[in-house]
Amino acid sequence: MTVAPAVVRAGLRGAELAASLRELLGDEKVLWAREDLLLYEYDGAVDTATPDAVVLPNETADVAKLARFCAEHGVPLVPRGAGTGLSGGAIPVEGGVVISFARMSRILELDVPNLRAVVQPGLVNLHLSTAAAPHGLYFAPDPSSQKACTLGGNVAENSGGPHTLAYGVTTNHVTGLELVLSDGTVVRLGGKSIESPGYDLVGTFVGSEGTLGIVTEITVKLIPLPEDKRTLMAAFPTMDDASNTVSAIIGAGIVPSAIEMMDQLSIQAVEASVGAGYPLDAGGILLVEVDGVRDGLDDLLERIEAICRASHAQELRVAATALERDKLWAGRKGAFAAMGRLASDYYVQDGVIPRTKLPQVLRHVVDVGERYGLRIANVFHAGDGNLHPLIMFDGSKGPAEVERVKEAGREILEMCIDVGGSITGEHGVGMEKNCYMPLQYSPVDLAVMRRVKDAFDPLGLANPGKMFPTPGKCKEFSLNAAR
Amino acid sequence: MPRVERPATAEDCAALLRACAADGQTVRVRGGGTKDHLGRLYLTAVTLETARLAGIVDHVPEDLTVTVRAGTTLRAVRDALAAHGQFLPIDAPHVGRGATIGGVIAADSNGFGRYRYGSVRDLLLGVRAALPDGTIARSGGRVVKNVAGYDLDKLFIGSLGTLGVVVEATFKILPVPPVARAATATFATPGGAFGAADTLVRTSLRPTAVVVARTDESGWRLVIAAAGEAAPVERALAELTRVAATRDATATAAGDVEAELGPLRELVDAAETGAVVRAALPLSAQTAFAETALHLDRSARVVADAASGIVLVHLRDDAGLPAAADALLANARVLGGSARIERAAVPGLDPFGGPEPAGAFLMRRLKDAFDPSGILEPARSAVG
Repeated sequence: MTVAPAVVRAGLRGAELAASLRELLGDEKVLWAREDLLLYEYDGAVDTATPDAVVLPNETADVAKLARFCAEHGVPLVPRGAGTGLSGGAIPVEGGVVISFARMSRILELDVPNLRAVVQPGLVNLHLSTAAAPHGLYFAPDPSSQKACTLGGNVAENSGGPHTLAYGVTTNHVTGLELVLSDGTVVRLGGKSIESPGYDLVGTFVGSEGTLGIVTEITVKLIPLPEDKRTLMAAFPTMDDASNTVSAIIGAGIVPSAIEMMDQLSIQAVEASVGAGYPLDAGGILLVEVDGVRDGLDDLLERIEAICRASHAQELRVAATALERDKLWAGRKGAFAAMGRLASDYYVQDGVIPRTKLPQVLRHVVDVGERYGLRIANVFHAGDGNLHPLIMFDGSKGPAEVERVKEAGREILEMCIDVGGSITGEHGVGMEKNCYMPLQYSPVDLAVMRRVKDAFDPLGLANPGKMFPTPGKCKEFSLNAAR
Repeated sequence: MPRVERPATAEDCAALLRACAADGQTVRVRGGGTKDHLGRLYLTAVTLETARLAGIVDHVPEDLTVTVRAGTTLRAVRDALAAHGQFLPIDAPHVGRGATIGGVIAADSNGFGRYRYGSVRDLLLGVRAALPDGTIARSGGRVVKNVAGYDLDKLFIGSLGTLGVVVEATFKILPVPPVARAATATFATPGGAFGAADTLVRTSLRPTAVVVARTDESGWRLVIAAAGEAAPVERALAELTRVAATRDATATAAGDVEAELGPLRELVDAAETGAVVRAALPLSAQTAFAETALHLDRSARVVADAASGIVLVHLRDDAGLPAAADALLANARVLGGSARIERAAVPGLDPFGGPEPAGAFLMRRLKDAFDPSGILEPARSAVG
């Protein structure tokens, strides 16, 4: 859609790089033909850039060899899982090598006695839970893209999902990592124990978006499947009613495993594509799930239903069977894809706000949409205050339209920051929001983060152009503009 | 004697650190002084006490978050939140002696509730920290989800004051559950107690404590606590009864949860002789580790958070001590975990005995990046 401005730093590039990599790793591990590279120039966000070559390693040793070579020749390294990322994390904005983990996708060990799994980064998120299910276990983080997204990508972005409200995000479930640093050093951190000696490098690395190094092995927690669940769809006349219900549920001392919200536009898109059975006349709906042991679940559900009714719910529907539950969730998890029904393109934001600010900020989103003449749908993790406004547009109108859409997105993020929130809750900063980092962090804060970057990646070759504001691209956001 | 400084603001704290860095004066950071036994201790030129950096900065009950200054005692935080029917789900030890929020973060000090509620690293949402170059950096935020930038909070947790001084922190909090109860069962062997614990951990009961303890000759006690609505709590305790029966043990309801767990939580404080070894192990290694401990010292006390693989061993036989402690540290490594000496009444024991942790070279780079003049607690952490 938009071609990111090319940043050229010294180093081996182009055909010469591809030829060297083929010699180093063998033809079967390198893609260099123009038509092959095209498949790697985009991810789930809106920016694109073409790599000089794509490497498909079979094992950690391949990655280490590649990194040593790239360090020697000044070549950026950009790891890629399934390319479902929503912040441009896998886009080689400065050129170089994209490392695809398509061939490192195995479960190395399902350690049931220790409630751990050791996996390769290319493993699809859902495949882990499927493999663990016969043992009564699962991997808790469940991004909506879990049928496609990989564990390596989840670690890079510190991914969340609807059920993180009760069970936490990726970082809460990772106990060990094997990394290849940008100079080719292989280092193993943590392990199967819940903590390890020294500084928490595992915790520091998770969510670093490929900018500190490349993950080649991951040890995660598996947790027991809940004995039972109750899933409620509650429809409200207005988004304000739905928002107030979220605060009322939490205020009553109930912490459900998920509280998801969808506005009218999203409901229409979902019904047209998935047919989840959401009422088309609702101003907003909530999906609320409680889980755990069977005892007391029905009582809990009744309390939630009473709260919904007190907040003017027009319809309450409890999934009576697993099939009905899956259908309700299919609507939520298929919501982003369903937007294709409404517009050719969408740009999704990921700001987080304190839950109590939901009504205020959602009204602001509506206002932004009206001022820019853009349709904005909201499908999000209401219990966490993690918004996902989807701004719809027509990319064929050209770069100026994309810039306008990004402007609208920025106004929403500024509001999130104004009420004490964050510019991203689970999608990452990447190259999509790096210019907005000064909205949230002062120059001092960013300088301290830079120290961490330099400690892991002194060469600056690990996914460059991401997370930190880049001078060329972020001119309009003076670093001193931050608080 | 070290010079004692008590900065009253984050800015004063940062200025003090910068002055110390300029003069090459070493600094220990001290909150309630309840963890003076932790790590490799070194007589510093200055003790920076956080007592005046106290108070609750922000508490929005509806958002379930609280922001407090680092010198605030855990007790004060608890009292303030209790007034709103809420709590910070970190049942760390040493609260009675004045443990502070800053100390809990610096020492990664957790209690038995970590299996249910998470540990400090799962509950901390953001920090402000004063660094030796005189700057004050912020990471994270005050919202429950945030992936903008590096998660620097994680670096400060457990860093024993070697990277900077946390001056303010924001945590997730929770409503106080309506019902909390505990029950116990005593087993003849560690395998019996840890085995029963394991069965309960593999359910969706989500107990608030799964503790295996051997505090005297009477056997291996399993203490289960559960909190929440009445029905699931009843169910959790009923499951203990059922599981105990399959292992020839009888479960007994406990009168008061704190009366049961409180003394176990303070094992380290109670250890005025001998040495306390603290291990973090893969779950299935706990039985073997406990057996090794008893083999090394028949009088050893053991308290384990069996749902998390954290095992504390109080070696009470001074005579066999240096060798027994070293053997236990080595055993933790052999079992795929790690261990440190938490407290020792006898001198000369290296709390981190054994090889350096994996990634030590990266840890040293980070230490140099945050504290280039090396004034903060030289040598105290596992990588010096």
